Amino acid sequence: MTSVTQPVYLEEKLEDIRESGRLIYRSKALPTWCPGCGYYAIVEAMTDAMNRLGILSEDTVVVSGIGCASRFPFFVDTYGFHTLHGRVLPVATGVKVANEALNVIGVGGDGDGFAIGGGHIPHAARRNVDITYVLFDNGIYGLTKGQTSPTSVTGFETGTSPYQNQDNPLNPLLMLLSYGASWVGQAYAGNPHHLASMLEQAIAHRGFSYLHVLSPCVTFDKTSKTYRNLGMAIRDLPDQHDNRDLMAAMIEARHQETPALGLYYKEERPTLGDGLKTIVERSRNKE
Amino acid sequence: MNQQLPFSTDIQIAICGSAGDGTIATGDILKRAMARAGYNVIAFDLYPPEIRGFGKCIARTRITSEQVYALKPRSDVLISLNDAYAIPHVHEVDDFGAVIYDDTPIAAVQEGEHISGHLAPAHLPYAIPFREISERTTSGAKSRNMVAVGYLAGLYGIPREVFHDIIQSKFKTKPAALTESILTAFDAGFVEGVATFHLGFNVPSEAPQSDEKDDVIMMSGNDAVVRGCLDAGIKTFFGYPITPATSIMEKLAVEMPRQGNSMVQTEDEISAIAAAIGAGFTGTRSATATSGPGLALMTEMMGLATIAEVPVVVFVSQRGGPSTGMPTKTEQSDLNLAVYGATGDGQRIVLAPTNVEGCYWCAGKAFEMAERYQCPVIVLLDLYLSNRYEAVVLSRINPFDQDCNTGVPKHQTDKPYRRFEITDDWLSPRAIPGEKGLQHVITGLEHNEFGRPNDQADVHAQMSHKRHQKLHAALTHPDITICKRFGDTGQVQIGLLGWGSSFGEILEALFKAQGEGITCAAMKVVMLSPFPTSEVIAFMDDCDAVLVPELNYQGQFANLVGAMVGRSVHRFTRVIGTPLHVDDILVEVRRLCDDPTAPPTPVNPATTQEKLT
Repeated sequence: MTSVTQPVYLEEKLEDIRESGRLIYRSKALPTWCPGCGYYAIVEAMTDAMNRLGILSEDTVVVSGIGCASRFPFFVDTYGFHTLHGRVLPVATGVKVANEALNVIGVGGDGDGFAIGGGHIPHAARRNVDITYVLFDNGIYGLTKGQTSPTSVTGFETGTSPYQNQDNPLNPLLMLLSYGASWVGQAYAGNPHHLASMLEQAIAHRGFSYLHVLSPCVTFDKTSKTYRNLGMAIRDLPDQHDNRDLMAAMIEARHQETPALGLYYKEERPTLGDGLKTIVERSRNKE
Repeated sequence: MNQQLPFSTDIQIAICGSAGDGTIATGDILKRAMARAGYNVIAFDLYPPEIRGFGKCIARTRITSEQVYALKPRSDVLISLNDAYAIPHVHEVDDFGAVIYDDTPIAAVQEGEHISGHLAPAHLPYAIPFREISERTTSGAKSRNMVAVGYLAGLYGIPREVFHDIIQSKFKTKPAALTESILTAFDAGFVEGVATFHLGFNVPSEAPQSDEKDDVIMMSGNDAVVRGCLDAGIKTFFGYPITPATSIMEKLAVEMPRQGNSMVQTEDEISAIAAAIGAGFTGTRSATATSGPGLALMTEMMGLATIAEVPVVVFVSQRGGPSTGMPTKTEQSDLNLAVYGATGDGQRIVLAPTNVEGCYWCAGKAFEMAERYQCPVIVLLDLYLSNRYEAVVLSRINPFDQDCNTGVPKHQTDKPYRRFEITDDWLSPRAIPGEKGLQHVITGLEHNEFGRPNDQADVHAQMSHKRHQKLHAALTHPDITICKRFGDTGQVQIGLLGWGSSFGEILEALFKAQGEGITCAAMKVVMLSPFPTSEVIAFMDDCDAVLVPELNYQGQFANLVGAMVGRSVHRFTRVIGTPLHVDDILVEVRRLCDDPTAPPTPVNPATTQEKLT
């Protein structure tokens, strides 16, 4: 599945982008990622999704942790908080609890989210905090120049695994599904149009939405999750997949070798904000 | 209210029992009733870390007509609800003090196991059948404690109605039959007490009623923190349970929703402060509360709040350490962590109240300061202060400024917004999410005035300077005591320099030393960071010798003082898990008075005069 099926002419593409209006969501700072990094596509898809949803820049807060992915807030023109390694979700939860009117988007990498920050994910998911968490998974620590991450495959050779990584990779989708995330989807940086549509749905979802974005690290991973390898491995979720069926979603999520793109699971249930409002009502009735 | 009392009263009552005897509950009723009757009250309970280990509980309550600042080392009355636990405390009953105990133990006891065999000749024994009276008047022996407190009230001739009010309000959510049974037990004890030969204390026959009792509130340090938070307009609180800070969170969980606000229990302390900072970023007043182990986890986030210039308030109630240490014992050993604990040069504001009323003020002012100076503020308490009860008088007018934010002026919104603009007072106008055209990113990376990551030498120097300079204004923040001098004016022989909960003991020692003819002054330092250096130097100039008593091993405050003023002080440190003993401080004052060059006494529990454990 490749995204480029016909020639793209730069002039036409720029004209399209200008006319779409999504440039207002881009900051004046140029991204600092390596040429060819999949994260450029995520910035593009994010501005596209925000533009399609028509959300206001000033009502949006992007919270990030530490790592390549976490530089993201500097490249979009919203309010942003570049926080500490692994602490995207607690900070984002605080922002949302304090001001329900804000659109809160958490971004971070696989190390940030599943290594140091792994303890926060189940709690954000079970509380159903009304935020969107976009996890950029390149299976490596890029900003520290190439070490294994919790999603690195077994046998991967890096600076900290010179004799091959012996640990099993985590399965983030399976984790999020069992934690009780109310919206779980997967996208691929090599397919920006699909990515934009998934981001749009994730942001529109009322509750905790988790979008896992597969994205190659072109500088430090030449063998594992490359554009070539990912491009060959990915597939779409089966047409008959029922995204209300948690067990079906889990079965699909088990196939990490051939990751499927699309919406795995979705449910509507009260958010943390709803719960806090209920508590306010109960406290007043009890007085 | 104090001036209306016809007699000078100073009585300390200790109730000792096993967990499950209702010891702490009895002390609670006693202190609330005496505060309602118009007395000054200071109370502090000791209890074991186990909920049901049948560990020892002691509730001490000092009831006075004059203002006092600490418990006395010796009590006037000891009530034993469990002889095995109470026997080691008989020695702390003052001469001509009373010991009240059950004369009919459940089973035959070996010689020496009954408390009556341990009384000193100068003690007055009051043996009454608590258990029998409880069983006769109620359905069982569980109300022994109520018989005992009723007896005490009768003995002292305190009107029973005051106690009835307190008991009824304490048990108002319980079935009426239970409250009735408790009142019956209390009255049965009361009748016994009235019929007994009275104690010869100087007690008014009729306790004066306060005219404005609504202003006098019996509260603990943690209660006062909660009240301060609410009056300062707290909007969000995120916390993780930890002794001795948990009750702040529990009380806020009750009160905050009533005001339409949010208390969220997070998965750990890192998450708690992270969420509080996230909420602070949106412009609302936000806080968390923890103890030393939690603060250790929060230090990285404190640094983020410092560099990203986000307001957040952190209440820290210290306990014995290091590590898990002694969760239910008091200590003042997290000063270093509070003042210095951060990566890089992460200076923040640290306030350490010295009494319950101070907890209220510091809590409220912490929100003003965090918002005004755009930084984290730590309010440093300890178990002794968190759990100690005092009758405090609170103003009915909310004293706290509800908005101290430096916002972005409207006419500036068309220019590119500099979140970290260098200004004359080093405070940058702060925009919050939702404000149009002022979108910006804040970061834990060093940054320029726009907030863009930048590690140039001049930028880092300028921003480091800004973050430190802006805090100096906190030393002149309106309506808060930064430091205060007590005792003799002018040149004195001994200066006592103190901080936090132990300042009450320091003041009591000061008054005793003055009584012995030693000229003596004391200074409490409430703001530990930034440090009121010039005030402390001025105080030290007036003292022939300066003694710094505190409850930790190294003398962390003495180190801080030494570093800030560049002079040496005499340390007096103890790590006993309980408040400092007034008489121990006094001994040190006398010693220093005789020989100002005397070396410090070693920090060894064996050297303390009497152990109050």
